Amino acid sequence: MTASILILSVLALPWLGALLVWLVGDRRPAWQHGLAVAFSAAAGAVALGLLPFASSEVALRLPFGEFFGDLTFLPDGLGIFLAAVATLIGSLAVLFSVDYMRGEAQLGRYYSLVLIFIGAMCGLVLTSSFLFLFIFWEITALCSYALISFYNDDPKAVAGGMKALIITQVGGIGLLLGALLAYAYTGSFDIALFLERSSLLPGGVLAVMAFGFLIAAAAKSAQFPFQTWLPDAMEAPTPISALIHAATMVNAGVYLLARFYPVFYQVPEWRTAVMVVAVATALMAAVMAVVSNDLKRVLAYSTVSQLGYMFYAISAGGIFASQFHLLSHAIFKALLFLGAGAVIHSVGTRDMRQMGGLGKELPFIRNVFLLGAVALVGLPFLNGFWSKELVLEAGLHNGPAWAHNLMLAGAGLTAFYTFRMVWMVFYMPPAPERSGRHVHAAGSAMKIALAPLALGTLLSWLLVGPFSRLLESTLPGSFVHAIGVIGLIEEVFLAPATYLALAVVGAGLLAWHSRARLGGLGMALHPLARIAQDSFGFEWINHQLVEKTQHAGEHLRRLQTGQINWNLVGIVGGLVFILTWLTWGGK
Amino acid sequence: MAHPSVFTLLIAIPVLASPLIYLLGRIGKISIRPQNPLAELEPLQNPRLRAFLNSTPRWTALLALLASWGPFVLAVDLFRSQGPQTFFIENIPLRLDGISLLLAAVSLGLGTLVVLFSGPYMAKEPGEEKYYAMLTAMVGVMIALGCAGDLFNLWVWFEAMAVSSYLLVVFYREQPASLEAGIKYVVQSAAGSVLVLLGIALVLAETGTMNLNEIAAAVGPSPLLVAAGGLFIAGFGVKAALVPLHTWLPDAHSQAPSGISAMLSGVVIEAGLIAMLRALSSLTGENGAGVPAATWGGLLLAFGAVNMLVGNLMALRQTQIKRMLAYSSLSHIGYMVFGLGAALTAGQLAGAQGGMFHLLNHGLMKGLAFLAAGALLYAVSGMALKAASAAADERQADDHGPLTVSDLNGAAQRYPLEALALSLAVLGLAGLPPLAGFMSKWQIFVAGMNAGVQQDSPILGLLVIFAALNSVLSLGYYAPLVNAMYRKQPSEAVVQGGAIPLQMSVPLALLALGVVALGVWPNLVGWLVAPAGSALLAAFGG
Repeated sequence: MTASILILSVLALPWLGALLVWLVGDRRPAWQHGLAVAFSAAAGAVALGLLPFASSEVALRLPFGEFFGDLTFLPDGLGIFLAAVATLIGSLAVLFSVDYMRGEAQLGRYYSLVLIFIGAMCGLVLTSSFLFLFIFWEITALCSYALISFYNDDPKAVAGGMKALIITQVGGIGLLLGALLAYAYTGSFDIALFLERSSLLPGGVLAVMAFGFLIAAAAKSAQFPFQTWLPDAMEAPTPISALIHAATMVNAGVYLLARFYPVFYQVPEWRTAVMVVAVATALMAAVMAVVSNDLKRVLAYSTVSQLGYMFYAISAGGIFASQFHLLSHAIFKALLFLGAGAVIHSVGTRDMRQMGGLGKELPFIRNVFLLGAVALVGLPFLNGFWSKELVLEAGLHNGPAWAHNLMLAGAGLTAFYTFRMVWMVFYMPPAPERSGRHVHAAGSAMKIALAPLALGTLLSWLLVGPFSRLLESTLPGSFVHAIGVIGLIEEVFLAPATYLALAVVGAGLLAWHSRARLGGLGMALHPLARIAQDSFGFEWINHQLVEKTQHAGEHLRRLQTGQINWNLVGIVGGLVFILTWLTWGGK
Repeated sequence: MAHPSVFTLLIAIPVLASPLIYLLGRIGKISIRPQNPLAELEPLQNPRLRAFLNSTPRWTALLALLASWGPFVLAVDLFRSQGPQTFFIENIPLRLDGISLLLAAVSLGLGTLVVLFSGPYMAKEPGEEKYYAMLTAMVGVMIALGCAGDLFNLWVWFEAMAVSSYLLVVFYREQPASLEAGIKYVVQSAAGSVLVLLGIALVLAETGTMNLNEIAAAVGPSPLLVAAGGLFIAGFGVKAALVPLHTWLPDAHSQAPSGISAMLSGVVIEAGLIAMLRALSSLTGENGAGVPAATWGGLLLAFGAVNMLVGNLMALRQTQIKRMLAYSSLSHIGYMVFGLGAALTAGQLAGAQGGMFHLLNHGLMKGLAFLAAGALLYAVSGMALKAASAAADERQADDHGPLTVSDLNGAAQRYPLEALALSLAVLGLAGLPPLAGFMSKWQIFVAGMNAGVQQDSPILGLLVIFAALNSVLSLGYYAPLVNAMYRKQPSEAVVQGGAIPLQMSVPLALLALGVVALGVWPNLVGWLVAPAGSALLAAFGG
């Protein structure tokens, strides 16, 4: 009973907040800021309060009638964990917005959509109904579209929002297909029921579902070959980027695969497919991060790349490793994005070539950003280190060696681009464009939002014990085994793979350090850099698809001749077609 | 109240009110005309009385439609307690089942809101009384069409609907574009009618009767009846805008006054679809002795797929909002036909209900979209300013230029309610949750996939994916419209636009509420949709 009230509150609080922010209206921005922070923080508190009620039983069931099934909520460890991430990180992003969005127009629209977004993400991870999983999935797509194109006057923002919407919607069809097939064979939209009775489905159908879900997850988490939308989503206000990258949107894909892994891992070649997607994404995105000069884009590529690591862990059966890395990533990536937001807010540009020397002017931001960067690289003893080692270890034990080697190389690249970014923003000699320009100090709300994230980056790995026990006890069949802090330290430090990974990371740092001496190598890799800057041709494919569709529409317009004679030809032609079909037509 | 009179009133009130509205409107107008010697009389100088006389047609129409809700509620009550009813006016059979109830609800509901909306919108038009007379008649005729129990009367009501809507399409009769749209509409409707008549003739020759029940009792699996069914699909398909019989639609829907666009897109083409289903269902015969329902199922699925694609691609490049919405109606007819096709092919109740649910939702969403676009057109095209200005009686012919997407840049700043309503409508049409369109599309997809699994046909599964891809494609033209309205930099037209009166905003708010409510809680209209779906399956021997 308490659990169902808490679940409803996690969903209802952000949405109620959205309604209130909207009703208050744009004439009272102070109220809007306050309401948004209050309601998102309250939702975060409720999500934490839900932790003791974790179970693998459905807690709430509302009948929706035939063909829609029941709206059910299942507060298991995975769901509560992701709801907590969405609400807590989300509320910090909201808090950060108080400074970042101060004085912006249309705050009501901004905060309403953010709160709906957070609520929908909670619904997505807590529901146990395919229909509502899909509904919440689509609502997050809708919100991300509206927020990415928040600055509607900027055509790039509009294009970025549309791209995110269309790509994730196309991927969503995979989820739709799977949900419909599950219903057709089990007669129910209940996910828990499906996981129990998946043997009812013929192997081929299960494979269609498994690959459909992989497509949906890849599109949502910006994995190969759908990775192109996430960098373009950088046109959004920066707190939104943090929200999408750390708290909500992209986690949904990882969630989907982790949730259905216990059934899909038996599908032949499915795990290999996930692994190929993961490795290709992690490497490609890392290379693109190396050659990009836009601060937010570097971070976006690093998100794509790190999500690849999570996919990789899942493909190797490391459900816990993937979720543990998700937790670390959510914290340090939110830290990095919000830190980057503070930097961008201060200097008014996203181009790293026009930054430099900001370390002295923004010491607090530099310190926390550096912390996040070290965690992203995976240096001891920050949260990113532990989780990345678990991911790589899971891959080494249960996956082929080639994949492991490539992922190790990716870790080296991560070190390289991360330190390139930190150097360009904070330590490089100040760009000439910047001389004499005033740097705004970071606001207090910004600092208040960043501090807990920095603390989390330092310490969140200590939660490994309760977190793994939570997943083990409520997720039967997903191969999660509880592990304590001591166990984690032993496991990581006794594994030779750890030292190998650290060596590769060190090599990446060394490469950055001695980049001048490696000039020849850099020149040799120049063509690769060019290709990477063109996003390996995927933008071209997108562009062609859009153009071809638009052309088809344009050509089809000729059929609307506007001449009544031709219109009547259409009627007669239609009649002939109908009669032909009825005479010879099959069914 | 004895039940036959309930039904009779449901049809009779709007149909008989129509000439009354015209008459009262004429009397009112003539009595205050300056040329009229009576206008010199003292009472007629009173501005309030003059305003009242001027607005008689509006209020009479609104009253007539509001009065029709009485018999409608009684009919629903009777239907729910005693099931489908057959009754006679003289010896013309009429029947009230789930389908007729649904059509009555949609046409009466949307009609009432359109009359309310049209008050300010049409206030300065000289032919106002004709407008309301025809609109009210059209509502009554469509209710009757849904109840028709024999082929001949089905055809008569169908024609009556065409005539009344024809006069409304050419309402701006001094504009060449309206006249062109009207000519195309009337010629193509007539062509469709001829095909329907031929079909009726074949059925009459084969069975010797036109009563739908008697036909159902008399039919066998005759090729002549298959041909008749083909003629019905083509003939009614012109009105239901099946591609390639649809070419009249974009012109007619975009040239009509916005309220009429809402009615045409939201109810009239769907009424054509229901007429088609009624005619076809009789050919199935009792216990499936006639032409099997699956004969039509495949054809409907094919038309569904073609309609979706053509409608979306044609809308993709449109910059005129009303024309874009008109093309999107093609794709939505496609979804309905697709769901109904799945119902007829594999007896999927989900498809029958989904198709009917989508019919209702499309009425709400497309009605809302056209009315919201109309309200914005009213605000930015100068109609609003004219309404406020003193020289209100003078009207220029170029009022009704097309409303383009760029005209609405930044519309949300001045017209937040209208912009939100239009956004909800188009996002609902694109099938995004939690809006009404998603729920009915979902039901249709469930039907398609179930039918595919049941018949072991991957083609049906692929068609479902195709339909879903089409929903994504439709975002390609809906989403930019939403983005444009929420720009910060308003267009010239928006800056100079006038106010939108409350009377126009209320119907928008109600419809928008409906679109959200049905998206969150689809069972809200389960009492209307479920019987309609069951009635359809039952009629086709399912």
